[in-house]
Formats: sequence, structure tokens, C-alpha cells
Amino acid sequence: MSMWRLAWRNVWRNPRRTGLMIAATVFAVFLVVFFVAMTNGVHQKMIEDTVRLHSGHVTISAPGYTENRTLDYFLRLDTTLIHTLDTLPEVQGWAPRVTSFALVSKEVESRGVALLGVDPRREPTVTTLARRVRTGRFLTVGGDHEIVLGTRLAKRLGARLGDRLLVYGVAYSLESAYDLYTLVGTITLPNAALERGLALLSLRNAQDFLVYGNRISEVAVLARSADRTDALRSALRKALANGVGGRPLAIRTWREMMPDLDQLLTLDSGSLAMMVVILVVVVGFGILNTILMAVLERTRELGVMLAVGLHPGKVFRMVFIESFALAAIGLVIGLGLAIPVCLYFEAHPIDLSGQVAGAYEFFGLEPLLVFNLGVENVLYSSLTTIAVALLAGFYPALKASHGDPVTALRSL
Amino acid sequence: MSGVARASGPGVLRSVQGRSAWAALIPLLVQFLVFGGLLARPTTAPALEPVPAGLDADLIAHRADDNLRSDRTFFRGRMVVNSPRLSGPRTVVFSSWEDRLGKRSFIRIHAPPKDVGTAFLKIHSNLWMYIPRVESTMRIPPSLMLQSWMGSDFTNDDLVRESSEVEDYAHRLLGVEPALASAGGRRALVLEYLPHEDAPVVWGKIMVWVDAEHYAPLREEFYDERGTKLRVLRFSDFHRLDGRTVPYRWSLKPLDKPGHSTVIVVDEIRFDVAIDSTVFTTRNLTRRVE
Repeated sequence: MSMWRLAWRNVWRNPRRTGLMIAATVFAVFLVVFFVAMTNGVHQKMIEDTVRLHSGHVTISAPGYTENRTLDYFLRLDTTLIHTLDTLPEVQGWAPRVTSFALVSKEVESRGVALLGVDPRREPTVTTLARRVRTGRFLTVGGDHEIVLGTRLAKRLGARLGDRLLVYGVAYSLESAYDLYTLVGTITLPNAALERGLALLSLRNAQDFLVYGNRISEVAVLARSADRTDALRSALRKALANGVGGRPLAIRTWREMMPDLDQLLTLDSGSLAMMVVILVVVVGFGILNTILMAVLERTRELGVMLAVGLHPGKVFRMVFIESFALAAIGLVIGLGLAIPVCLYFEAHPIDLSGQVAGAYEFFGLEPLLVFNLGVENVLYSSLTTIAVALLAGFYPALKASHGDPVTALRSL
Repeated sequence: MSGVARASGPGVLRSVQGRSAWAALIPLLVQFLVFGGLLARPTTAPALEPVPAGLDADLIAHRADDNLRSDRTFFRGRMVVNSPRLSGPRTVVFSSWEDRLGKRSFIRIHAPPKDVGTAFLKIHSNLWMYIPRVESTMRIPPSLMLQSWMGSDFTNDDLVRESSEVEDYAHRLLGVEPALASAGGRRALVLEYLPHEDAPVVWGKIMVWVDAEHYAPLREEFYDERGTKLRVLRFSDFHRLDGRTVPYRWSLKPLDKPGHSTVIVVDEIRFDVAIDSTVFTTRNLTRRVE
């Protein structure tokens, strides 16, 4: 126990040097915790937004649909499929969709849109589309010949609630498809391009419009939680191993559907890891330098201690503890600063208005910096800092304890 | 339809890609690498005979075009669409009037019943469409020029000709193919059309085979700007008319859609006819036709 007191006193022999070293550690710990929390938060939000905007965690479609996105690739929403999706415990929610391309026209003005046929009852179990209503309301279960547009699209067309809009396209049967629909609502979307180019019909109306029968383009499935995604895919693949109506299925997670997003997240995590490594190495060398200096300027003193018979192991432990104490103080203060700050931003996401907002919108994201502190983050940063401190203390401790007392006494 | 649906359809829904501006560079870099690779890919050229002296590529392109259209052309014909989706071919009957100098054209559909009376009017780069059943006229945005026309493999651009293969492209004579298999072994001049820089064209390159004797177009291959061949148009059933050699059958095959093809069959074509200027009016669009 006395070694702890001795070490503690040694640490504060040169308060300025120690203070600077602690400040550096505090800074590094703060940065690591802060940026890890921010990256985690932003990544989770990106995944969540993407998944809850459209795709779900897992998408079921016909093989080839994702690559070609034409009406040629379809699956049939038959009782087997409905039953499987309704009863599988891994399924939190599911929504069938029909997607195609169409022209929406108000009087002479028209725009090309992605036409999305959704089931008004099931869609809210997967996506937030129904909650994004800006004016009017979302499609309803009993509604017929109703249309919902992105707010910007409605504005561009000069369409107001209650207007009858002409939708024109090419049906599955290759005949012209056209019909009139009443605008019942507009929705806000995080992506401006999407808001300018999305029109929603009820699934039934879309199937009629496209002469598509009970065919659908895809089913978006929501997992119980994001980390159950792979389990959900396995469960679906097993339950639907024979396909639907004898036709094979492509069952893919959002990672497979959006490899670019997945890769971007990996890349981003990689650059973060690099920053963490650099900070940790710098802190490690800082501690090494501080302790080594402290040992070297005490060569004579340590020599005396050894000469009067102090066990080298105790000297080793003392220097080791000095290194640990230095890092521990920095860590505690660093965490003491970082945790409240992260928790604050977790509750109050940073709104990136101004120049950066444009870039975010371009990528279809809300310009929000979200934080997610997480226990792992705090735990891992603490363990890393301590481990690095111990590693850095090893050499000075070895040097202090294994010196020759005679030479040590002669020095200085 | 599928082409643009792929680009601006549900793909938009998942354009969530990045969270910082620099991240935008990554897809760009990837594209650069991919496209660079494609560009560097060697193209296998057919064995051609050298070009005979005294032939001018621009003139040949001009003469090839003259066999298809004049300054004022009237056309009546059928378009037959084949698709694996259909149990039998789908036929669209239509007439068209084109005023090449005025950059105006008008198309009226006569069949199938659902589309009777539907009409298209193009004046310069504006395209309108009228659907009698819902009594609505809609303007088709220029961005939709590559959309399928009436469910066929032809695009809006093909029918209303916003671009001109004569004016908007630079022509180069590559050589002579002694016996073009797809045209019954006819001797053909092979030309390459590359778009002018600011031309409003949708293709990256067109390869054209022109009959060496009467300069009728025999075959055209359309490439995108990456150099991928997207579709092949074959001309056949040639008729002599007003000093022209006119193909009465135009078969289009999109290479990215197996089993799909569209044939336009000419029932009547008249060159340099007088066309009343009231044809090219929005009033004519909405005119009742029985």
C-alpha cells in the first residue's frame, strides 16, 4: 500500500509537467469518446432513416428486380407469403409494394415520378411514410383513387388538396395506363430529389393501374431490432426456401441492397479508428516520455532506494503505478467532461443548418448530428487508455528497477 | 420505360449514401475507375474493306436520311410490339406528319381502342400528349425523351425526333462491309456517328450500315456514352418511291431486354407533301376523331 502513496507523491513532484500530461490525456480521452459517440449516433441514424424510409431491414423480391427494376420482375402476394410474414416471430412488420415509373400531370404541367403502390394498413408497420404527412392525410384503407405526392412535387405541379391529377404510364400489359386520382395529402421527405419525384397510390390502385393483378415488386420487412437483421434474413430464407408459387426469391438485407451505404459506414468507421489509434499512440508516448523523464532525473534517488535494500520489484511497481495514476487522472477528468457533453448532444442533436445542410440533403439525410454514447464506448476508451498507460510505464519501470545502484549513486 | 425507371425510379429512394461532402468523391472515383476500364477495353472491329476514294461521310449520312424522310413527310403505319409479357403481339396503328424544317411533328393513334384519338404534338423541344378518354393534354418533360413510346421499344425521341442524325452528329466512314449478313448479303458502307459536343442527343455513338448502291440505311446500332451497345435497328422490305429507296419495315431490338422487339411497318409514306399548318396546333391535338 505504501507504494501507492509513494507513487502518488512522485506524480506530483513536478506539478506542471504532470498537469500538462494529464491535460493531454484529458483532451485525447474527450476526443475519442466524443467522436466515437458521434459516429455511432450518425451511423445508427443513417441506417435507421434508410431502413424506415423505404427498404426495411430485409427486402424480398424476385431475383433480378434490384438490378433491373422493371415490372418484369415480380412476386405474387399469395396466402403462403402472407401467412409466413404474419407468423414468423422475427418479423416486426412487413409492407408489400409495387413500384413503377409514371407521369403525374396537373392540367398541362407534368413530372416524371417514381410511382409507389403501398398498402395503407401495412406500410406504417415498416416505414415512417405515413407519419411524414405535411398537408392533408395519408392514404387510407377504405380510400379509392387517392394519391399522395412529395410536397415539392405537388408545389411544382401547382396541385392542391382535392385536385384531380392525371397519372400516365405504361402498364405491365404494355398498353397505355392512365387514370385520374384525387390528391389527398403531401409528404415531406429528407431527400429533396425524392420529394420532387415520389407519388404514392394504394397498392390496389397501383396494381389496377399497371394491370398487374396480385403481383408486387417487393416486400419490405422490418426486424425486431437492427441487430436482428441477419437473424430475420435467415428465418425468412428458411421459411421461404421453396419460393413463392414455385418461383425463387431474392431475400436481402439493407447491407446487401445498399452496399454503397454499407461500405461508406465501414470506411467512416475505419477513418475514425485511425484517428483513435493516432490519439492513443500520442498519449502513450506522452506518458512514456513523462515517466521516463521522472525516472531519469531520480536516478540517484532510485539508486539509494535500491542500495538500502528496497526490492527491485517494489521499485518497478512504484513507477508502474505512477504511470497508471497519470493516465487514470486524465481518464477520469476526460470522461467527466465527455460523458455529460455527449449525453447533452444525445438529447439535443446538432442541427447543421447552413452550408453543410445542402450536402446532407444531397445524400438524402436530415442535417442532424446525432450522438449515441453507449456503454461500450466508455468501457473501451477506459480500457484502452489504461492499457496504453501500463504499456508506456513498462520501460521506465524496468529501467528504474534494474539499474546498478553503484552506477546510479555515482551519476549526477 | 425501364431505362429511365431504373435511373429515376425507386433507385432515388435509396440514394442515402453519405454524411459528408468528401464522401461524394468515393463513388466518383469508383465510377472513374470503372468507366476508365470500360473505355480501355479493346473493341473488336469487323474486317472491313478500305474506303473507296471520293466518298464523303456527311453526304452518305445525308442520303441515308433522305431515304427515310423529307422536309414534309406523311406516314401511316403499324407498330407491332413483341414481349415475353404478352401472349401475342400488340399492334398500335398510327399516322404521323413531320415538318422537318419547322421542327414540328404530329402523331395520331388509330388503334388499339383504348388509345384511339391519342395524339402527340412536338414543336421544337416541346412535346404534348392528348388523351381523349380523360380529355387531358399533358406536356411531356424533355427528361422523358428516353421513355418508351406507347409501350414499345421505341422512345419518345425516336418518334418525334428531337435530334437529327444528320445535323447533330459528326460522321466518319470506317470502311466497306462486302456482304452484310443481316441485310441479305448487301454490300454496305459502315459509318460511325459521334454526337457533337452540345447536341441534344441521347446516344454516345451510332454505327450505321448504308447500302453501297442506293444509300438506303440497312442497320443501325446505338451505343450509350460508355460504349455499351444498347439496341439494334434493322431496315428491310425496300420500295422504290419518288427516287428514294424506302425501307417499309423497321425492326428494333433492345439488347438489354431479351425477348422484346418492336417492328414498325409502313402502310403508306408520302414525301414532300403539303401539310396544312393547322396540323401542328394544340387545337388539332384535342380534335375529335372518329
